[in-house]
Amino acid sequence: MGARAASRQWSNALFVAPYLIAYLCLLIFPLVSGMGLSLFKADLFGGREFVGLENFARLFKDTVFLQSVANTFYFVLLTVPPLTVIPLFLALLLNRSDRTAAIFRGVFFSSSVLSVTIVTLIWRMILMTEGGLAANIRHAMGFDAIPFLSDPNLVMISMAIITVWWCLGLPMMLYLSALQQVPQDIYEAAELDNSGWFRTLWSITLPALSRTVILVAIFQCVLQFQLFGQPQLITQGGPNGASRPIVLFIFEVGFRRWDIGYAAAASQILFGIILLATLIQYFVTSRKQVSS
Amino acid sequence: MKKLLLAVALLALGSCSEKSEVTEISVQRIFGECRANVPKGQPPLRNPDGECEIVTQILDDFEKRNPDIRLKVNIAPWPGYDQLSAQYAAGDPPDVVTMHMSVMPDFVSRGLIEPLDADFAKVGLDVNNFTPAARNGVTVKGHVYGMPFDNWTQLWHINMGLFQKAGLVRDGQPILPHSPDELLAQARQFKQATGLPYLLQPTDNERAAFTRNIYTYLLDQNAVFFPDNKHIRLDTPEARRIVELFRQIYAEGLMAPAQDYPAAMAAFLNGQGGICMVGTWMIGAFEAEANTPGRPLSAGYAVRPYPMLYGGKQTAYVDGHAWVMPRRERTPEQRAAVIRLMKFLQQRDYDWSRTGHLPTQADIARSPQYLGLPHRDGIVALATVGQTLPAGVERQIAIQDIIGDEMASAITGHKPVAQALKDAEHRVNDLLFHVL
Repeated sequence: MGARAASRQWSNALFVAPYLIAYLCLLIFPLVSGMGLSLFKADLFGGREFVGLENFARLFKDTVFLQSVANTFYFVLLTVPPLTVIPLFLALLLNRSDRTAAIFRGVFFSSSVLSVTIVTLIWRMILMTEGGLAANIRHAMGFDAIPFLSDPNLVMISMAIITVWWCLGLPMMLYLSALQQVPQDIYEAAELDNSGWFRTLWSITLPALSRTVILVAIFQCVLQFQLFGQPQLITQGGPNGASRPIVLFIFEVGFRRWDIGYAAAASQILFGIILLATLIQYFVTSRKQVSS
Repeated sequence: MKKLLLAVALLALGSCSEKSEVTEISVQRIFGECRANVPKGQPPLRNPDGECEIVTQILDDFEKRNPDIRLKVNIAPWPGYDQLSAQYAAGDPPDVVTMHMSVMPDFVSRGLIEPLDADFAKVGLDVNNFTPAARNGVTVKGHVYGMPFDNWTQLWHINMGLFQKAGLVRDGQPILPHSPDELLAQARQFKQATGLPYLLQPTDNERAAFTRNIYTYLLDQNAVFFPDNKHIRLDTPEARRIVELFRQIYAEGLMAPAQDYPAAMAAFLNGQGGICMVGTWMIGAFEAEANTPGRPLSAGYAVRPYPMLYGGKQTAYVDGHAWVMPRRERTPEQRAAVIRLMKFLQQRDYDWSRTGHLPTQADIARSPQYLGLPHRDGIVALATVGQTLPAGVERQIAIQDIIGDEMASAITGHKPVAQALKDAEHRVNDLLFHVL
């Protein structure tokens, strides 16, 4: 009987097998083979020569790579807090069942369905110094255009504005679904206790949403470390390398120079950074939860 | 069970059909998408001398005349190598693809494109009719690896109406500088008279243009900037002279700031600058504008090779487009279809040269039909005096990106000129050192 039950349990694995096989083939295998590749000097289409950790040593001396790492961190700092907080406010405002709220939910989510090509096309027309919408408005007011895309101090802020506009929708939906799971009777009890709006928000809503806030922050962190399409299409990493993130560096090295061993080494560093940032965030937030 | 078997048998029989007589080949090209301008089977509705319009029409025409071949056309964004590299990496390159001549040695060195001498001989595609520049461009290690489509270079496209206003026209010809000092003086004179920048050139989101400028003016000074195939020399007085000149032009507002490629082209079309430094491919589009009454360019449009500023003989950095056949599995019919397409493209060299590109077929380059096209007599010599980078230098596109990146930083004032040149030299040499 025991053996039968055990065999039945093993056969249950068949249900998850398709996913596991796809996961192993499409994620784990490329990850491990990328780690191996980072130890080689390798050409995209040809030879391969074992160099140990030389690619990593090269990276730590490569000023272009180091600048791309700094750019990426700056971008994450610029985007993750707004992408965690703004959708929360939007969700709190739009968590109603009337038609106006439904329309605005649609409006705020609509940007998320656009491809990066369309998003960059739209924002290029807004931000470009010559003939862009923002420049035309400034000119009409008698001011000079702001060089959003050609000033090294402004270009990453511009990328952040574009990204926040583009990515607001999904976290807002996550917050909305979390809000709809907070039991109504708690709110009713709070109302009976004569609790004000802010008190209810602080003591009931936000604690109930804390897991979703962590989820959104971690999710956005992972996503924004992988910035690529916006600078690739709008600035090619310029001016003066100020908008070149790590993924664009990897792309240039791997596909333009065909130096895939070096690109793989940079990918491992990006992987390590994302993993570390996610773990730190997770442990800090879960410790806070335990202590509270 | 019987019913199931019957259903399977019927399904299998239903799926059998007569073998298709049409051979499909995948064609990948750059030059943009313009199907809206070129409805199938019709001449272009507008911009008939544009690159995209002409190549679209040529490929449509090929399909019409060869009903046994179907072209599956894929349009890649310029320069097309990111996509092509990914396709190779995935084992699925197209059957035929456009490729810059400067890039061909990279692909030949890895055995990624096929030599075509034997196939060309078989169908009578005469390689002896290629112009010398074209023949050199597609020949690697003694074999022809592509069907040359054109040679191109950067040119000075001039708004003659604005030049007239600035007093820079003599006997109907534009007055051009012969030294850096003359260039600065004429640019200042132009700006004072018109209130507009003398030069228009993409400065944002652009790498190639600055690199081509520096190559041309290094050649003007007879500088040997590739002492061998594995090293570049850019931290030199010759290079500093060029970059400092462009830096000064930019700093004085003699070049329009903060323009990307479309913005710079639009600015020239709208009469917002005197000279547009862009390639041969824009002649057709600009000429069409010049022939449209009421447009800013209708007051006059001229094209000249880059004027030599450092006393050298007329030269220019040139490159070219070719059609090549990636190495992949294909049927003999598909291979034959690719070669037929290449022969057809050779026969349409005149049509393609209407874009402004230099022809690759010697008979076309000499023909009154070609020389009768606007501005061609002034630039055709570049097919002879133009120079490419040494054929053994690999990764020319990546090198172009690095130099363009650093030059843009220096010229727009984000980095000191000397530092940018030093960084460019270091980055290129590092790249070449690590090429396997």
